[in-house]
Amino acid sequence: MVFGKMFMKILNKDRRNKQISILIIGLNNSGKSTIINYFKNKDDRKFVSVPTIGFNVEHFENQGISFTAFDYSGQGRYRNLWEHHFKTCNGIVFVIDSSDRMRLVVVKDELELLLQHRDIKRRRVPILFFANKMDCIDALSSVKIAAGLNLEKIDNKPWQICSSNALTGEGLQNGVQWLTAQIRECQQTKELPHE
Amino acid sequence: MALLIMHSYNKSHSSPPRGGNPFQNLEKTSVLQEARTFNETPVNAKKCIHILTKILYLLNQGEVLGTREATECFFAMTKLFQSKDTVLRRMVYLGIKELSTIAEDVIIVTSSLTKDMTGREDFYRAPAIRALCSITDPTMLQAVERYMKQCIVDRNSAVSSAALVSSLHLSSQHGAGDVVKRWANEAQEALNSDNIMVQYHALGLLNHIRRNDRLAVGKLVTKLIGQNMKSPYAVCHLIRIGSKIIEEDYANGTNTISDTQFLEFVDSCLRHKSEMVIYEAAHAIVNLKRTSARELAPAVSILQLFCGSSKATLRFAAVRTMNKVAIMYPAAVAAFNMDLEGLIADSNRSVATLAITTLLKTGTESSVERLMKQIATFVAEISDEFKVVVVQAIRTLCTKFPRKHSILMNFLSAMLREEGGLDYKTSIVDTIITIIEENLDAKESGLSHLCEFIEDCEHTSLAVRILHLLGKEGPFSKHPSKYIRFVYNRVILENATVRAAAVSALAQFGASCPDLLQNVTVLLSRCQMDIDDEVRDRATYYLAILNSNNPSLCKNYISSNDQMVSLTLLEKTLKDHLHGPLNETFNLALVPKTAPTPAIAEETHNDPMITTNSVPKAPRVTREEVNVERLLQIPGIQRLGPLHKSSPAVQLTESETEYTVSVIKHCFPQHIVLQFDCVNTLSDQLLENVKVDLLLPEGYIIRHVIPCAKLVYGEKESTYVILEFPADVSSSSATFGATLKFVVKDCDPTTGLPDSEEGYDDEYMLEDFEITVADQIQKTKVNNFAVAWDAADTEEWVELEETYSLSAVNTLQEAVQTIIKFLNLGPANATEKVAEGTHTHTLLCSGVFRGGAEVLLRAKLVLADGVTMQLTVRSTDQDVAEIVSSAIG
Repeated sequence: MVFGKMFMKILNKDRRNKQISILIIGLNNSGKSTIINYFKNKDDRKFVSVPTIGFNVEHFENQGISFTAFDYSGQGRYRNLWEHHFKTCNGIVFVIDSSDRMRLVVVKDELELLLQHRDIKRRRVPILFFANKMDCIDALSSVKIAAGLNLEKIDNKPWQICSSNALTGEGLQNGVQWLTAQIRECQQTKELPHE
Repeated sequence: MALLIMHSYNKSHSSPPRGGNPFQNLEKTSVLQEARTFNETPVNAKKCIHILTKILYLLNQGEVLGTREATECFFAMTKLFQSKDTVLRRMVYLGIKELSTIAEDVIIVTSSLTKDMTGREDFYRAPAIRALCSITDPTMLQAVERYMKQCIVDRNSAVSSAALVSSLHLSSQHGAGDVVKRWANEAQEALNSDNIMVQYHALGLLNHIRRNDRLAVGKLVTKLIGQNMKSPYAVCHLIRIGSKIIEEDYANGTNTISDTQFLEFVDSCLRHKSEMVIYEAAHAIVNLKRTSARELAPAVSILQLFCGSSKATLRFAAVRTMNKVAIMYPAAVAAFNMDLEGLIADSNRSVATLAITTLLKTGTESSVERLMKQIATFVAEISDEFKVVVVQAIRTLCTKFPRKHSILMNFLSAMLREEGGLDYKTSIVDTIITIIEENLDAKESGLSHLCEFIEDCEHTSLAVRILHLLGKEGPFSKHPSKYIRFVYNRVILENATVRAAAVSALAQFGASCPDLLQNVTVLLSRCQMDIDDEVRDRATYYLAILNSNNPSLCKNYISSNDQMVSLTLLEKTLKDHLHGPLNETFNLALVPKTAPTPAIAEETHNDPMITTNSVPKAPRVTREEVNVERLLQIPGIQRLGPLHKSSPAVQLTESETEYTVSVIKHCFPQHIVLQFDCVNTLSDQLLENVKVDLLLPEGYIIRHVIPCAKLVYGEKESTYVILEFPADVSSSSATFGATLKFVVKDCDPTTGLPDSEEGYDDEYMLEDFEITVADQIQKTKVNNFAVAWDAADTEEWVELEETYSLSAVNTLQEAVQTIIKFLNLGPANATEKVAEGTHTHTLLCSGVFRGGAEVLLRAKLVLADGVTMQLTVRSTDQDVAEIVSSAIG
């Protein structure tokens, strides 16, 4: 009874400032902008996507919550700019091109840098990994990627890996549902006086 | 700084003014602290707009942000892109533009801006383009090129204009010009837009893209003239481009069909329905150098019409234009003296000032007094800038009516006593100095006015100049002793720089006035106690010379100033000397003398045809100074003595040929060094052992040839020939035939490496060139020609007098220019300008022939069916006098 009431309260609070800010990062050509494109209204979607320079801000609604997504460029020279939004984001979406075996080590490096960053290291930020381009013939499975990236070593943050296909939208909804739930939980724990 | 001033302004009033500036007490650190609000979610648009306003205010007040501060602020600002508030977004654009030059990694917003500029929200598109172009560097330009091209031809005029203007700004960035050039087709399309601004901006961009290709610009103008453009702004710009072409062609002496066409177009614009276009056309016609009386009349009557307009801007424009050209066409301006008289009482002070000064320029001697009284009534109310205009008008008056000097001088000294900035004061002092130099009667009163001025002068530079002048002119005045008091006062009261100048001035009195020598030595010995090194050094130096009782020492080291060597060159040669073997003594004679500075009048005469932006003035370096540096690298050049003169480069080939060669003639006392600058324009050839073979006229002897070892494609290299002048001066002006000789090796155009070691001899005919009398004469400026002329009436000087009839010229001005050009003499007493409407004129000029023979020339010209000239030459050398007087004939 008491628990139920509290849950309602938090839900209401969420509804009041139902703004969630997420960061979308990953190497170039992994499909970040395309994923965002899928979540947008049908009228707003773009058919051609070009390499992002810097970042783009996109808004979309999902499960009654409005998301503000900072879609960053994944090109090498811009990756050091990601950190500017680490402090303020509620969640991180890390997109990986599962067909790009060659650069998996680069992904690992970048992930390491992200996790060791002072604005991320001690925060309990949910991280959602999309193993994108699952439709490619030589795509690695999500399990193999998780193992390759040593994801199981992440202990202070909730994380999840989903195979996805940003062109058809397969797997995207599941991932975002998980992310929303996790962000809610995080905010909930934050409001408790002692963790 | 501005903040500070405002601050103190408020303090001086006991109560702060109501409704004052809400931002006046802003502090940078606290505002930057506030900027952290940008990171909060959700974004509070209202609050953020306010903070952004504060940041922009601070930046525009001159507050400087460090790179880290700016970058932090910039990245905080990028978070605001998540807000959908239109006002906030547009403030963000402004912030991006302001910080784009200070912050790092500004390209981060590229995609966000591209999205806005291609998006559906019209409010965002134009400002997003402007912001995008401010953060884009040439390397990033290709990424946005496609969007820019689209936007240039966009249907929305604001978007199209923004894209065009931003491209214009981009193209002046280093390296971006070539990319922007590729947008010419889009700009061409925008030129057909219905919107007047888009049309104007498109024309601006197109002209800028093609500005280096005269032919293309000409074509553009010709095409547009026929199209009858809708935008008055574009038409104005077209007039400017057109008149620039006409002016350039006129200066080059070419006259093409398109010039006539352009002129007709400008003329037709006088009947345009827009006032702006009419004015622009009139302005262009009046300022064109080739305008004849027939074309001038309608333009002037248009300006006259504008003088009576109810719009202050039109009156101002008309009067300002007339003011500028009053000297060129006094007769035409005189026609509307009546209108100008009416404008003196104009409620707009700027209009009134210009009207009066125009009248002063064209007025007669009798009206001067009346006009000066009228100026005096309002001179205190106008800004410094216009006061300078008044001063310049007075200067021209003084040269024109020397007898009126006392009124004008009194007026100037009254102005000198008033408050004013350095520029204003400098122009007054310049004017007084010019008057003193040109008018002997005004000398005493002018000097005493200047003495009074330095008693209370806050500008060190002016005080130093005046002291120098006092030292130069004072000793020869009627009562030299009275100036000494003024000069010595400076020694007691002023800063070290002024004191040093005063000491030098004192020494001048000591050297030139024997009866004052005793007093001067006492004063100078007091100066030896000065606390400043320079002042003490000078005092000791001058005392030693003065006490030596050796008149020739005094003359050479104190009173005579014509031994001025070029300081930059002196420094350089001294440095070289220190690096070289120190057992040789330094020879001052090797350092070339500076050419006399050109008359000030040239500098103040601004180019009236400025079309876009004024070019910052390059520091003045004489041709000789530039050349000596290169010449000194030639071995053995020192033996030739000091460089007397370098001629401008003369092309010996057409500009579009395989090899281009130009010659510069460096004249030494007994030798001439010919410097051939060669450029190889064939990318598949390497030239070696390049030299110029000369066909010598009688008397000249080749002393040395320095070939150019290697001439690579596109690079300018020089080969030299050193000639000795013929012993007989009269045969020194002669024509030379020239052939370029070299060894050709074929090479790979990309690497520049020769295909084989074997080459073959080849030669290339060059055009003939001349060594003229002008090449052997260096200009001098004589301040008081009459004195110099009379002083030259002794046995040491030779005088030659002859009468010529100049059939090739039709006006006196033309005759004067021809004489100056042929002889390269420096005109004195402003005699190079012929007053309009006169039939007689006397040209006075002077120079130094190589070897040091002075030349003074007086040419009396009479206009009657062509020009008749009586030429009198005085020189210290018989042969020189002969060659000079025969050079004209």
